[in-house]
Amino acid sequence: MTAAAGDRRARRRLERERTARKRGLALELLPPEGVPIRFGVAGLGARIGAQLTDLMLCTAAVIAVLVLLGLTVGGTATTAVGALLFFAIRTPYYIAAELLWNGQTLGKRMLRLRVISADGRGLTTHAVVVRNLMKEVEVFVPGTYLILGAADGPIESLVVLAWVAVLVAIPRFNARRQRIGDMIANTVVIVQPQAVLMPDLTAARAPTRERFVFDATQLDHYGRYELQTLEQVLQSETRGATGTRDQRRANLVAISRAIRTKIDYRETVADDDTVAFLRAFYAAQRAYLEQRRLFGESREDKFHRG
Amino acid sequence: MSETELLRSARFRQAREADWRRLEEILERSERRGRRALGFDDARDLATLYRQACTSLSVAREISLDRGLLDYLEALTARAYLAVYAPQQSLAGVLRRFLSDAPPALRRSAGHVLLAALTMILGAAVGWLLYLQDPSWYGVFVPGGIGQGRGLGSSTAELLKSIYGGGDHRVGQLTAFAAYLFSHNTQIALFSFALGVFVGLPTLLLCLYNGLILGAFAGLHVERGIGWDLLGWLSIHGVTELAAVAIAGGGGFRLGAAVLFPDRMTRRDALRHHSRDAVKLALAAALMLVVAAGIEGFARQLVADTTVRLAIGWGTGGLWLAWFAFGGRRRAEPAR
Repeated sequence: MTAAAGDRRARRRLERERTARKRGLALELLPPEGVPIRFGVAGLGARIGAQLTDLMLCTAAVIAVLVLLGLTVGGTATTAVGALLFFAIRTPYYIAAELLWNGQTLGKRMLRLRVISADGRGLTTHAVVVRNLMKEVEVFVPGTYLILGAADGPIESLVVLAWVAVLVAIPRFNARRQRIGDMIANTVVIVQPQAVLMPDLTAARAPTRERFVFDATQLDHYGRYELQTLEQVLQSETRGATGTRDQRRANLVAISRAIRTKIDYRETVADDDTVAFLRAFYAAQRAYLEQRRLFGESREDKFHRG
Repeated sequence: MSETELLRSARFRQAREADWRRLEEILERSERRGRRALGFDDARDLATLYRQACTSLSVAREISLDRGLLDYLEALTARAYLAVYAPQQSLAGVLRRFLSDAPPALRRSAGHVLLAALTMILGAAVGWLLYLQDPSWYGVFVPGGIGQGRGLGSSTAELLKSIYGGGDHRVGQLTAFAAYLFSHNTQIALFSFALGVFVGLPTLLLCLYNGLILGAFAGLHVERGIGWDLLGWLSIHGVTELAAVAIAGGGGFRLGAAVLFPDRMTRRDALRHHSRDAVKLALAAALMLVVAAGIEGFARQLVADTTVRLAIGWGTGGLWLAWFAFGGRRRAEPAR
């Protein structure tokens, strides 16, 4: 009874995890080659960071120009000219940078973000111009208006503030994290993909495979999800990524015990052999699952029969 | 270890890994130094290797359960896609294309621009008439910032002085005023363009409002008998600037029309379709505003003679009109 309840709970947790990962903001594009490519959609924190970096650069440029013009004294004149200059430097900067550096400004480059076109074709000049002009309308111009205190009264200020707040909040409420400008230009800001090829775990030395032998019933328990989780654990072991040595070791021993109990593996495995056992099990399990998959039966996780 | 001992997916990987590494190396170079830095061989291989990586990815998705490999291929293909489909225009090319594409876009939206201009003229007429009826309307229409203290209380001499830039003006004040007026019309242009999405209503109101200000302002000066001087003062930059506002408003109406009358497209598609022309209108307006600011900042303070001011103002206006009427024609016709 309790085992069944535990099972159900585990299954629910798994499903929750999976939907969360799916909602982990992936964008799938279909380029003309016909193979869908996945991108990770950039988070709002990183985007705001990139914007702040770019704005600081533009501010520095404005100050430099003002100093060159000799307009260093304060007052409304300098503020107004400064605001105008800021506009005149900022907008062309964003457009030129995103065009010349393939969807990256300096800030986006630092935070490894990139603008791409959501239709699977290249980024067009039109799209870049539209999204950056809309950025002015959405945030920058009303923002300047507020900061300069040009609004006539508190009500007007509040309206402008609400406008900026609503438009900044809009990306939070759609899956692609698009501003209004992104929607009109049909663009998405993505995280620059990083390609690191880990060594193949099954390409291990032969003796380890011969030492541990698994039969078909023992390999019937797990599915893709468990296999890839095991892969991650083993990869981080080879990289030596997290925790102290002893912690990782204890973790691996616990995992290997759990697996042995589940698949009913009779022989004892010494603690020193844990990694070798897990690698051998991984190789056997993957060979088995890939084989099943070729025959049309893909097992998503350990609940595949239910 | 012999080949057959490996898994099918591992053999698949072994056979292609060298190509992936080569692609990665090309990408590294093209991302760091731009695609122009690639040699002939690299540029040729990039396209081939990208297609190979696409195939590898789609095969791997089918046969492999190696998460490390799948993630790598996903990322590699994505990077290659970005490199292959990068925008290829130079900045000069973009500018040239804009200069030849903007006039046709403007001709296509002539009706919308005319609507914006007529709205402003209507506003001006109403503003003028209302002012003649009751001068206190002036205070209602003209915001303090624009009038710069010029109002009902000012004497005719004071008004004239501000028109011809009397000696007691300091440079700072002039700059501030220029920036103020410029940013007022820029704001009107920007908002009447951008808010056009809301079925064009804000555009209509903004154009009308801008007209009202002008009308009341003109009414005040004409009543004092210095209408001619004001015309010169306004014309020198105003022809360009107000035309820019009308064009931006036309762009706004274009967007509003897309939402109101999407034809057979969905509203989103219609908006995207019309925005192609509308954006060119907005950019043309921006260009004109910059030119107007230049004229305002330098020419108006230097040229004090009303006839010369009129000539400069309407001369530039004629140049704009010529550009819009004849620009980009030669390229468009053989294409059809």
